[in-house]
Amino acid sequence: MRKIRWPQLVRRIHKWLALLIGLQVVFWTATGFYMVVVHIDTIHGDHLVRPVAAPSVALVGLTPPSAAASAVPGASEVRLISRLGQPAWRVQGEDGVAVFDARTGGRLGELSEAEARAAAKARFTGDAEIVSAVRLTRPVQEMGKRKPPYWQVEFAGWNRPTLYIAPQTGELLARRHQLWRVFDFAWMLHIMDYRDRSDVNNPLLRVATWTALAMALTGAWLLVWAFPRRKKRKSV
Amino acid sequence: MRLRISQLLFRRIHKWVGLVLGIQFILWALSGSMMALLDADAVGGHDGPAMHVMAVATDGLIDPARAAGQTAVSGLVLRDLAGTPVYELTTGSGVRLVDARTGAPVRIDNALATQIAGHVANAPALRATLLERPNLEAREHVAPMWRIDFKDAENSSVYVSATTGRHLVTRGDTWRTWDFFWMLHNMDYFSRTSFNHPLIILVAFGVLWLSGTGFYLLFKSFRKSDFRWLRRRKPVA
Repeated sequence: MRKIRWPQLVRRIHKWLALLIGLQVVFWTATGFYMVVVHIDTIHGDHLVRPVAAPSVALVGLTPPSAAASAVPGASEVRLISRLGQPAWRVQGEDGVAVFDARTGGRLGELSEAEARAAAKARFTGDAEIVSAVRLTRPVQEMGKRKPPYWQVEFAGWNRPTLYIAPQTGELLARRHQLWRVFDFAWMLHIMDYRDRSDVNNPLLRVATWTALAMALTGAWLLVWAFPRRKKRKSV
Repeated sequence: MRLRISQLLFRRIHKWVGLVLGIQFILWALSGSMMALLDADAVGGHDGPAMHVMAVATDGLIDPARAAGQTAVSGLVLRDLAGTPVYELTTGSGVRLVDARTGAPVRIDNALATQIAGHVANAPALRATLLERPNLEAREHVAPMWRIDFKDAENSSVYVSATTGRHLVTRGDTWRTWDFFWMLHNMDYFSRTSFNHPLIILVAFGVLWLSGTGFYLLFKSFRKSDFRWLRRRKPVA
């Protein structure tokens, strides 16, 4: 039987595994580097919006929240919110959200475009102008699982800050900007789910990760012979 | 000649970075593999509470101003708490719960917390513990909170806020395994939350050199003869 030459064998396995997975390893390390370097609070866009100051709301003169709840089938929660500066009841029902004027008790419709713009402007920290405000009825990638309709209000700026406003309540649903979008793309490359960018258990990723581990382990094994003690011997 | 020198240099970088940071690269590959393997639904915790929402009763409720005992609040929620309509009031002094029918304060005690947790877990409760500060499992949530342990296959622990009675999060053994590997992945060995700390940035920067030089060396490490087996398949004669 021929004697196994371990350094050659391990090296061969290492380089063939690297040929299979090498490009993805470059993607993993590069996208991983981006994700650790840019702080997650920046990615989340915390700097784009003002925190909502808890306003003091006088309860006297408000309609009872139970009246708002009984007007919506399957209402599970009634919340006092500030809608464009006015107190309103936000009712979570079986089929979605309904909003009532907390003073008159009347059901409120959707925000107008001007109101949606005002709601976005009130939360935005910068003083940039609004570039566009569109009421979307089809889902966009960057809103993930959240269902439309929602107002997409984009402000001027290199990082294209975009606030998403709920059309009934005027609440801020999400904030997006270019660094977030790059992060989302990096995340897609990182978890190898090129369609929904959310499935961390996809078979491709599972095969790729174990292949990378095998490559890493053979690489570590090669270190045994990588630093020859005797200078005379030619390195392998 | 120049090319050979640079190739040698790249090999040297590759093996030295491998020697120093290789262990973390292996840990990243291992923890990544394990997190890809553990079913995300069993891990849970990402899509919030998977609790059945109950419709709130609306008959015979008292005026929230009377329930609050004051004329102004900064927040008010009417909702169901284990079959009872409650007002969740936010004032300068914090959040409190009152019964929306009687106005009596609602205290989230052991029995009530266990009852609320029972809506989430479908197993006998073993014990309930009041936590004055969040533990590692419920680190993203605000204390005080109840931890209710259940006797199920996952050894589930359901966390319920001791202030609002809301279900905060449920943790099981799959999550606990996942969280260990997540710690190895984000290198935040104490709080397990941050992946933006100097250590990981430094190591990630170093490992970029490992992968970068490795990728370059791919183009230098294969000869035509390495691919002979591919050509052999073709019928020669």
